[in-house]
Amino acid sequence: MPEADVFAVLANPVRRQLLVALRDGPRAAGDLAGSFALSRPAVSEHLAVLRHARLVREEPRGRHRYYHLAAEPLADVQEWLNPFQRYWRERLTALKDLVEGDDL
Amino acid sequence: MTDIEIDQFIAREPAAVWRALTEPELLARWWATGDIKPVVGHRFTLDMGSWGQQPCEVLEVEEGRLLSFTFAEGSLDTTITWRLEPEGAGTRLFLRHAGFAADSPALKGMGNGWPALIRRIEPALA
Repeated sequence: MPEADVFAVLANPVRRQLLVALRDGPRAAGDLAGSFALSRPAVSEHLAVLRHARLVREEPRGRHRYYHLAAEPLADVQEWLNPFQRYWRERLTALKDLVEGDDL
Repeated sequence: MTDIEIDQFIAREPAAVWRALTEPELLARWWATGDIKPVVGHRFTLDMGSWGQQPCEVLEVEEGRLLSFTFAEGSLDTTITWRLEPEGAGTRLFLRHAGFAADSPALKGMGNGWPALIRRIEPALA
């Protein structure tokens, strides 16, 4: 079960859009702010919340700060929603090991 | 989010993977014990340990390529479909486990808003 604050963080549509905007790669804070109809400080605040929940990671590059998506807490959410997903991944790994083994 | 879809590359030809899916003694070695047979209409049970003997029925068979059967009739009421495609010298195995009800044990605790939410964040994991 992920920490409760991850759910609270994801409940905000702007923060979900920020995560989607990062899925193709890291982007600078200013560049991200430009894609939202919100003030730059408001976007910064949302990014800080995401960072605190470890959903994004910040990286200074020169005068800019870049944000990266960090998928681990999202994977926890997915597992909470559907534990069978993990179950099947484990079974498929067992199947792969069996079939690729020497005795089949 | 009521279906599970996973694929797995296996570095053996589809015939070997097919055997692992359809021969009871092989199936038992990686998943569950049960009298499975790749024959449409064949009814069998799979032993899911503490979860009990789960009734199943084969729905569709394309020898070496596709196997579909109901899984856990009366409780989970889902369908499992295996599809095999040759990929290079190996096999790409696709699993689709479909039909989880929103209130099934697998999805319990899930609020109404979550399906929409997960659709948004799932691509972020790719």
